[in-house]
Amino acid sequence: MWKIFRQSVEYGWHRLTSRKVYLVCMTVVPLLCTLFFLDLMKAGLPLKVPAAVVDLDQSQLSRRVVRNLASTELVDVCYKEESYHSALSKVRSGEIFGFFLIPRDFQKDALSGAGTTVSFYSNLTVYVPGSLVFKGFKTVAVTSAGGVALTTLSSLGINETTAGTLLQPVVLNQNELHNPWTNYSIYLSNSFIPGVIALMVALMACYTICEEIKNGTSIQWLSQSGGSMLMAVIGKLLPQAVVFGAVGVFIQMVMYRWCGFPLNCPPLHMIAAMLLLVLASQGFALILCCAVPNLRLSVSLASLTGILAFSLAAYSFPVQSMYGALGIFSYILPVRYYFLIYTDQALNGVALYYSRWFYAALLLFIIAPLPLLPRLKKHCLNPVYIP
Amino acid sequence: MNRLFSWFGSLFRVWRREFRLVFSDAGVMIFFFGLPTLYPLVYTLIYNPEVIRNLPIAVIDHSRTAESRRLARMIDATDGLEVWQYVPDKPAAKRLMDSKEVFGVLEIPADYAKRLGRGEQANVTYFADMSLLLRYRTAAFALTNVQLELGSQLRAEAVDAAGLLVPGGLTGQSIQADSIMLGDPTQGFASFIMPGVLVLILQQSLILGATMLAGGGYERRRRNGGIDPLAVNASTSATLLGKTLCYLVLYVPLTLYALHLVPLMFSLPHVGNVWHYLVFILPMLLASSMLAMCIAVFVRERESSMLVVVFTSVVFLFMSGLTWPRYAMSSFWQLMSDFVPATWGVEGFIRMNSNGASIAQESHPYLMLWGLFLLYFVVAWILCRVAGLYSSRRRPALR
Repeated sequence: MWKIFRQSVEYGWHRLTSRKVYLVCMTVVPLLCTLFFLDLMKAGLPLKVPAAVVDLDQSQLSRRVVRNLASTELVDVCYKEESYHSALSKVRSGEIFGFFLIPRDFQKDALSGAGTTVSFYSNLTVYVPGSLVFKGFKTVAVTSAGGVALTTLSSLGINETTAGTLLQPVVLNQNELHNPWTNYSIYLSNSFIPGVIALMVALMACYTICEEIKNGTSIQWLSQSGGSMLMAVIGKLLPQAVVFGAVGVFIQMVMYRWCGFPLNCPPLHMIAAMLLLVLASQGFALILCCAVPNLRLSVSLASLTGILAFSLAAYSFPVQSMYGALGIFSYILPVRYYFLIYTDQALNGVALYYSRWFYAALLLFIIAPLPLLPRLKKHCLNPVYIP
Repeated sequence: MNRLFSWFGSLFRVWRREFRLVFSDAGVMIFFFGLPTLYPLVYTLIYNPEVIRNLPIAVIDHSRTAESRRLARMIDATDGLEVWQYVPDKPAAKRLMDSKEVFGVLEIPADYAKRLGRGEQANVTYFADMSLLLRYRTAAFALTNVQLELGSQLRAEAVDAAGLLVPGGLTGQSIQADSIMLGDPTQGFASFIMPGVLVLILQQSLILGATMLAGGGYERRRRNGGIDPLAVNASTSATLLGKTLCYLVLYVPLTLYALHLVPLMFSLPHVGNVWHYLVFILPMLLASSMLAMCIAVFVRERESSMLVVVFTSVVFLFMSGLTWPRYAMSSFWQLMSDFVPATWGVEGFIRMNSNGASIAQESHPYLMLWGLFLLYFVVAWILCRVAGLYSSRRRPALR
């Protein structure tokens, strides 16, 4: 038994080291993606969004508003446009992500009480900078309005404290739990990097298993494992799992230790989740291989599901808001459970009890392909390559 | 002159042969036709609900007054939030958060109504779950609006009660703010992400299909002692351009479908001029095809290209500046993303499609795409010559 196991693993390891592309897929790709995501978004938030201001009033008050705009960290007023049209043209050519329009007679109407309206345009075509521009502009618009109202109220004989309270009677303080900086890197790196790992694990598993059938070496592969399909699969996948697991835990170390991403649980919880994710993704790939024991089809399926997982596992748009008929598919993706474990454990640091089912689901992916192995064995014994 | 004619003749033969190869290969057909037709539908369906509605939150009301209930009611009435449950204390709220029944907690202090009555500022605290930034954004948007709305209501009541005549209306605000969202007025998620993803799908499916075809060619050469019986005897440039022409012809209807019909079907933002963005996307298809030719030189098998091409979709998505804007990238990543056709394709197309930009306003991405096409053509030509691909001198002409 032990001898067969060793023989099988040796065979798997030998095949794995025989081609450079495998090494690239197992180590270079995940590590390069990690470097890419972490370095790309190291600022956390893309502050200082390029924006413009259209000041049609050019009065003392309007200049004060322009100065307020210039002093927010969210927007960088890099253009002063002379009309709405020239500002909109800058939006269309992508130089700015929004502009603030101060109407003519702004100071006169504001101070005389006739009422005036400032407008701000945010280009939501690109979500994040658009939202930041909106937030920055809105803050300035509200504070400018408040400043003028404060003067008006004081001039009516209301003391300044009362007037200040009148302007903002209720304050809703927002506390962003465990990510008070609304850091995009923490949020996106923690979901997209494991997504890439899961994708590569599944691709590699499908490729290396079905390649044996394509090349007609599956009989030799089986005989190396004493004719046991289970042994053959373990021998093939275990070396990959070890490499991917090591790479995955290393990436976690980079994220949580080096970059200081929130890790509000014992590290073991996340390490276990990563190792289970690797094994579960292999299990998922094995199910695909058993269902369609054809190299091209199974690798295509693994790619299609792996890429769809980035959307379906709901890193950005929540499952609860998806159509039910699509939302349920997120529950057949291993990486979804890893993401849920991450938000529970590393981000929110809740008791392990609440994540129990997510770990169980990952375990289920590992044993789920077992009943399907005889089908794979049948195809391995009779390898036919259909291009 | 004769050589020019024979060059065009071989170009045409390559084109015709490539057509036949595409339609006789089910795997390539999946990438060329299945992927660009189905993925836009699946993706848009995933994101089609666009916005989060009625995000459940818990309320800890220590005040238990008419005023605090008014605040909770106003929050409940917003589009984004829903008061799912009243809880007595923080531990109870935490239990709801931990079991993911609610995604936020509003804590109203005991002196809320008292402070309002005294004319002091009342502070209310909201705790937001940060697992998904879209949820946080929805909550923040709703709460800011409630704060402003409730503020102006309370102000009107106070001014009214004091019997003051305030210029600028009862609210005492003589400056109103008007926010206009360009491109994606509903702030919907599908409306934001789909136009860019559609362009990316075109590029990635083209690269996957083209490299798979090249892998098939390599396998045939390996089996037949370095000769591909299905290859056409043509010069390197004629082969590269002939293949590109074939892919281009296949992708014109697909582009029309993905960039025009899909936004129409799902009522995504779609204000640009069809001709402008069709002309715009032409060099992107050409550049993608040439990029595929460069990658194809290294492909040894039909399937192995998938191993190294598929994951790039995620990287290219981020490089395009759709999620993380280009101005905030370091110059190194900006430079890297400059070499991806989809970066410029996405940049230009989303602004034409959602903001109504004309092709003249997108001249920079447009010229960059033509530049990339030329660059990749030269690189592919050199790579093919170095690798000894498609060189007619080395093998006898079979047909």
